[in-house]
Amino acid sequence: MAITPMEIYKLLPKTNCKKCGEQTCMSFAFKLVNRERKLEECTPLFEEEKYARQREKLIEYLKPLEEATETGLIVKEELCVGCGNCVVVCPVHVEKDPYGCGSGLAPKTDKLILKVENGVVHVLDMDMCRRYGKNRVLCVVCRENCPTDAISFLEG
Amino acid sequence: MSGNTEYYTCAGCSCLCDDIEIDLDGENAKTVKTACRRGSNIFLEYKENRAEPAIEGRKVEFEEAIKKAQELIEKSKSLAIYGMDTIPIEAQKVAIELAEGKEAYIDNSSSYCLGDFVEMVLKKELPTATFDDVKDYAYVIFYWGVDPHNSLPRHMSRYTYYPRGKKRQRGYEEDRYLVVADIRKSHTAMLVAKNARFIQVDDDLKLVDAFIKVIDKQMPEKYADDAVRVIREMQKADFNVIMGGLGLRYGLKGNYEKFKEMINKMNEVAKVYFIPAGCHANMRGFNEVLFEKTGFVNKYSFKDGESSLDYAFFELLKNDKVDTTLIIGSDPVNSLPFEISKKLAKINTIVVDPRKSFTTQIAKVVIPSAISGVEQGGTMIRSDGVRVKVNSLFEREINDVYVLERLKEVVA
Amino acid sequence: MMRFTKFLKVEVDVVVARNAFIPDNKSSKEYLENVAIAFMQEEFAKVNGFKENDVIKITSKGRSVNLKVKISDIAHEKGILIPNGIYASYLTSFDGFKRFKAEIELADGEITKPEEIIEKLKG
Repeated sequence: MAITPMEIYKLLPKTNCKKCGEQTCMSFAFKLVNRERKLEECTPLFEEEKYARQREKLIEYLKPLEEATETGLIVKEELCVGCGNCVVVCPVHVEKDPYGCGSGLAPKTDKLILKVENGVVHVLDMDMCRRYGKNRVLCVVCRENCPTDAISFLEG
Repeated sequence: MSGNTEYYTCAGCSCLCDDIEIDLDGENAKTVKTACRRGSNIFLEYKENRAEPAIEGRKVEFEEAIKKAQELIEKSKSLAIYGMDTIPIEAQKVAIELAEGKEAYIDNSSSYCLGDFVEMVLKKELPTATFDDVKDYAYVIFYWGVDPHNSLPRHMSRYTYYPRGKKRQRGYEEDRYLVVADIRKSHTAMLVAKNARFIQVDDDLKLVDAFIKVIDKQMPEKYADDAVRVIREMQKADFNVIMGGLGLRYGLKGNYEKFKEMINKMNEVAKVYFIPAGCHANMRGFNEVLFEKTGFVNKYSFKDGESSLDYAFFELLKNDKVDTTLIIGSDPVNSLPFEISKKLAKINTIVVDPRKSFTTQIAKVVIPSAISGVEQGGTMIRSDGVRVKVNSLFEREINDVYVLERLKEVVA
Repeated sequence: MMRFTKFLKVEVDVVVARNAFIPDNKSSKEYLENVAIAFMQEEFAKVNGFKENDVIKITSKGRSVNLKVKISDIAHEKGILIPNGIYASYLTSFDGFKRFKAEIELADGEITKPEEIIEKLKG
């Protein structure tokens, strides 16, 4: 399930009180998705009882944020059949390991983003992902080739 | 990983992936790398749910079970040997020798699975190719009536659509064209995106007809757009492949001539190969070994010296033609219709299997053996006809070759 | 509240297909959890009054099994998909080995255990 700023915004106080340091609740919502801010920084939400229901909902809604890797990638092992599509299609893998992963075979290096072990996909090193760092791109090729939704991204 | 890594072969399905790394912890597989969920499980849980020697549900010594099985085989006036889809060809050959010596019937799951396609391929009635060629050269990758994501999980990532090959360096989105024909939106069909086509097919014969008509420049009744587009894509490359599964096999309703005509027609305007896409690890191995010996791939009677639908294992059971059956590495109660498998409870059923199964629960005699790829090695034949060496992790003395040699003593 | 669908029988197409989650160990929990399933699309479930985890009775040619409903797009629009295995084999015949007609309805009981089928097999 995708986490969107709009859904977060709907559950925030929507008072634009600026106590969190942001100009608007909407921009706070954006920062939450990018994990530049934490929900606790919205102090009214935690201090004022009238927001209790919204607070509970938000905490539940934002749970996947904690499970997600730095690039927003979420792996649900219980949904993975270990087909290895994600490992083979990853453009970084093709570049770093053309004769292993890129050719559909067992990896010839451990310097990889994803790896299939004991029948399910595991994250090895997210730093290598194209979605990470200064020149990041919104690559979703691993998710696109996972028909059982074992791989998802925070933004959907 | 490095040059001297030892790789194992997973004998879980007909992909026979031979690039599996395994970290051991004594007699346990601790980490299984690169194998799919089902394949990993075979190594990780090989000690679980093991068959034990038994006679009529009572646990006995191994030797006693062997003796009882020998006695039943010896006494039998009409014996059928069945299964062998998961054991190496070295063991299949011993089973065939036993069938010959006993003038028995012999068959495997291919008689209701993909045996007809394998036969057409072996008789060169359908042009075929290997996965190595598919990976290096194929453009249109056409899955028809098969959902490899579930039945052959690494088929697409290791052999066909996703890997980069010699003439297919640019990746699947540009260098391949995926076609999936199925009656439902399978997981494989969900992978149809850019440069790909999903054909939701209600009637496979009408799709066959559509391809023939389009090539003949006539208007088909259904699937005209699909057929036109796929043919046009096939003409862009000098190598295309159709992989047919059980959905196609049953969808054709026996009209194989029409299917062959379609493949021939396609080859008048493009280059198209066919590979059967079945599940059992060494189903094709049995077909090839029997073919070499008899000229037939399955449902064979050594007494009559011919193959016939009447000699298919399920027909023999249905028509009460056998008094004893020897089932090796197969669980027909799991896979055959109830009306047929219930007959197994009424005759002398001997099961040779490394694991407990539904069939071991109704068998007169159970003889445990070894798990292929874990406790016994040998040769298996992949669904594209390539022979793959299977090695063993923890070699076991009591394996299928041993058990079958012992049972063969009856006809020695 | 009594559910209206309890009295309804729906005639459907059953498709049988392999499932990658089914392990070779047929005594395991994973085996039963993944094989005793009837997949149906959300829309189909809604129209016919079924929901996730309902136990439904599937009847074909006089034989029935109870399986658990799982909502999934892998089923076709007009029916259910059940995985290869003992339940599919119990219902099917070679007239329609991978695709056959059946009636489905909401069931009272638990899912059918493989042992129940084995007992019937023994006669």
